[in-house]
Amino acid sequence: MELDFLYDGIVILDGAMGTVLQQKGLPPGGKPELLNFTQPDLLRSVYREYIDAGSNIIYANTFGASAPKLASTGHSVDEVVSAAIAIAKEAAAGTDAGGPSLGLRPNDRSDSLPTAVALDMGPLGELLEPLGTLPFERAYEWFKEVAVAGEKAGADLAVIETMTDLYEAKAALLAVKENTNLPVFVTMSFEQNGRTFTGCTIASMARTLEGLGADAIGLNCSLGPDLLAPLLKELCENTRLPVIAKPNAGLPDPATGAYDMNPEDFVQALAPCLDVGVTIFGGCCGTSPEYIRALSKALEDKMPAPRTYWSTGFVCSAMTPCALDGVRVIGERVNPTGKKRFQQALLENDLDYILDVAVQQEDAGADILDVNVGFPGVDEVAMLPRVVKKIQSAVSLPLQLDSSNPDALEAGLRVYNGKAAVNSVNGERAVLDRILPIVKKYGASVVGLCLDERGIPQTAEGRVAIARRILDAALSYGIPAEDVWIDCLTLTVSAQQEQAQETLKAVRMVREELGLQVVLGVSNISFGLPNRPLVTQNFLIQAMAAGLTLPIINPNQRDMMDAVAAFKVLSGEDAGSRDYIARFADAAPAAKTAPAAPGKGLTLEDAIIRGLEGDAGRLAKEALQSQDELSLVEGRLIPALDKVGEDYEAGRAFLPQLLSAAQAAQAVFDVIKASIAEKGGAPVKKGKFAIATVKGDIHDIGKNIVRTVMENYGYEAVDLGRDVPPEVIVGTVKEQNIGLVGLSALMTTTLPAMEETIKQLKALPDPPAVWVGGAVVTPEYAKEMGADYYAKDARQSVEIARKVFGA
Amino acid sequence: MKLDLSEPLRYLGVRGEPDPGLYAEMSAVADRLTQTVTPRWVWRVFHVKHMFDGEGLTGTGLVLTGEMARKMLADCSQAVLLACTLGAGFETLLRAEQARSMARAAMLDVCGSAWVEAGCDEAEQEISARYPGLYLTDRFSPGYGDLPLVLQTEICALLDAQRRLGVQVTDSLLMNPTKSVTAVIGLSDRPQPARIRGCGFCNLRESCQYRKEGKTCGA
Repeated sequence: MELDFLYDGIVILDGAMGTVLQQKGLPPGGKPELLNFTQPDLLRSVYREYIDAGSNIIYANTFGASAPKLASTGHSVDEVVSAAIAIAKEAAAGTDAGGPSLGLRPNDRSDSLPTAVALDMGPLGELLEPLGTLPFERAYEWFKEVAVAGEKAGADLAVIETMTDLYEAKAALLAVKENTNLPVFVTMSFEQNGRTFTGCTIASMARTLEGLGADAIGLNCSLGPDLLAPLLKELCENTRLPVIAKPNAGLPDPATGAYDMNPEDFVQALAPCLDVGVTIFGGCCGTSPEYIRALSKALEDKMPAPRTYWSTGFVCSAMTPCALDGVRVIGERVNPTGKKRFQQALLENDLDYILDVAVQQEDAGADILDVNVGFPGVDEVAMLPRVVKKIQSAVSLPLQLDSSNPDALEAGLRVYNGKAAVNSVNGERAVLDRILPIVKKYGASVVGLCLDERGIPQTAEGRVAIARRILDAALSYGIPAEDVWIDCLTLTVSAQQEQAQETLKAVRMVREELGLQVVLGVSNISFGLPNRPLVTQNFLIQAMAAGLTLPIINPNQRDMMDAVAAFKVLSGEDAGSRDYIARFADAAPAAKTAPAAPGKGLTLEDAIIRGLEGDAGRLAKEALQSQDELSLVEGRLIPALDKVGEDYEAGRAFLPQLLSAAQAAQAVFDVIKASIAEKGGAPVKKGKFAIATVKGDIHDIGKNIVRTVMENYGYEAVDLGRDVPPEVIVGTVKEQNIGLVGLSALMTTTLPAMEETIKQLKALPDPPAVWVGGAVVTPEYAKEMGADYYAKDARQSVEIARKVFGA
Repeated sequence: MKLDLSEPLRYLGVRGEPDPGLYAEMSAVADRLTQTVTPRWVWRVFHVKHMFDGEGLTGTGLVLTGEMARKMLADCSQAVLLACTLGAGFETLLRAEQARSMARAAMLDVCGSAWVEAGCDEAEQEISARYPGLYLTDRFSPGYGDLPLVLQTEICALLDAQRRLGVQVTDSLLMNPTKSVTAVIGLSDRPQPARIRGCGFCNLRESCQYRKEGKTCGA
């Protein structure tokens, strides 16, 4: 195992800076970065203490030196970073880091190196999308500014630390790698349950960051070494990189704020982490030079322990790791091919519909989702990252980005949170040379199709030869074999009958001879035959038996998922048949209680009022045979919604019932949209409104509730989201000529933003009607701010839309 | 820890006996929430200095200004700062639920509000157990009564809430993740009466539907 590129032995980092400064009398809660200007001598003395205690690397005082955190200080990033690095370098000058060469300065091979100075990069203090409102691209820019300043100031390496959001860590890591030549360490903070605050797992962190090119990774802060030890073991099993441990001195006492481990306890709990493979050690909150001295003494003559890395195919989101050690289903439904409704959604930018398709597949049990947005008239390079972000906002499954456009793939991989897969390359040299570098850069897995410029080989041997070529190319770009997946290609059995057996043979050969993951788009097999599901299911079962590990199927087809569940029992993957039993235990009672005949006498109106989505959709389809779309909406759907609305107003029904009715109405609208899309007609739309939560406010469920109900009355929503600046709202109204704008605010602190937005809207030559709502808004205040209407809830919002649009 | 459904039902405006269907669905939502999301909290104790311009927390530079803090901490020599959150996990759950069913999302939202309060109750138990000789006042929060909302930022900084809980305070003084609470609790050696219940202390009193009907929500 090649771990010696960074060092040959053990590296000692420093301990806490903040703790030591507080011990020296600084009050808590201040901005330590300002000390770079006010108390350089104090900082220099702390660095010297750590160096004397045995630190090979010290972290400069730049943890919070990013633009958003320095905003109120009057100092630029460059000023703070230059000053901090200069002080640390002064402290390190003339010292001898001793022991191993850290390999951080490739041009300087002398044995005696001064202590290395690290540019310390902490979190930005603002939450990234989708949790907060900070865009990934903006975070990247802010980190880039810090990284560039750090390299310019002479830092020897960069450390990204105390991250709890893998997405933020990725932005920082890309910023360092793309804009500097600094080696880079990344450490994140985990809770005892093995997850960060944002839900990131150890395996997801390890394999994502290794894929993105970090030089060493590890854990810092949050817990003491005793509680971190099991997590460090798991981390070592999931990476080939050197592993860092920089724990707290135990846990803080709420009464005093003091940490509960002394230097001896700390070292006693931390030193055993050497045995699981940790080689880079230091301390975080509550530690001081005494801790580092004890640590460095305890590890003085120790050698790194051998490592056991679990080599496995793997993809993940931050929250959901997916090791490929059995059959994993790839859902195929996020794809416009042959789906009019999906195509319409793409052309209309209706990302909510696409999200629905993704959510359904997650609920149906898919392990990975294929994402394809290629369609004439759609700018894939812009659309793929938008769809990736949208799906990842609510679905935690890993994604497989499916495109032949390298720029779209790169744009999608860049904003993806986790380790993705790319679908696909083939045996053509030009394709391999164009796409594999992108796969390598973002640490993705890649699907290789067994075809090349000469087409699809008719024999299994021919396909395996291409697979081998793809594997060799991937290896030459530094992509490990476990990240190479081979698609042996399913051909239609009704057209080329002998090819079914060739495909199965190729699956077997790729599995046995190359040991790679095997992908197949399964359903293509049965095209043109009656009772397609039977043929597809049979082929799926045979292919899994031959070694197929990654079937691409429609997970909403229960027969297919049942076959996978049964296969996992027979292969032994489903230990004790537990999942299989659970799957059918749930199903059995449902079958008994299912309504015998779809409610005779149940009207469309009843179905909407009672919130029966399935029935509402079915009855709408029936109704469309005898009436047109518009009369269905106006004559039946809206009166039914009004009935629920009246009950809600009268206190006979409550918000969930109002929303269930809205959802049933949505099912009716879906039927109507599909019917219109089939005919190629214009959609039913009664008037377009914009809706937003105002700048500074991040509460959006109230706004989303209003939008849902209004949409199901047939109004078209332009949902601008939350934390929306007035200019964006005004710009949208002008561009799209919108006649009605809804604004929501939940906090007294964001009412001024609401007022400002109204002011700007009313200054337009043809101002839209504005209605407002939200917990702290009152009718009186609405009037004062210049709003035309106040709505206390979704129901009143519909009444306002009726007045404004006259329908 | 248990989630009492009467609170979230009240948030939805349900009065009296809820419809059994609604109650059952609400229970299912609450069960899933309590199984997947655990409230987390941090607290710290400070000495209180009664000063001319407010209640100072020794060694911090933080002063709790206003009548409410003065009244609440009158008998107290120490005060606890508390932050409690459902964390990012809840936000993720809520976003996913909105994509599935807005009706269930609305239920999950109100259950979340009640669940973070349940976390605060549990933290109070922990504090009581740690200080057996002392009595706790009602807990009160920035933004309620006349305790300035702007204290949110300083309380979170003192508790190192970003690092220890993943809670961030935005420029507009909102907490993110949204189901997060900061609070102050006084510690006294005398039993403390309930002082801040009722509409007089509620910031929603102007728009409250109950109040318009001449009723109270009971909180």
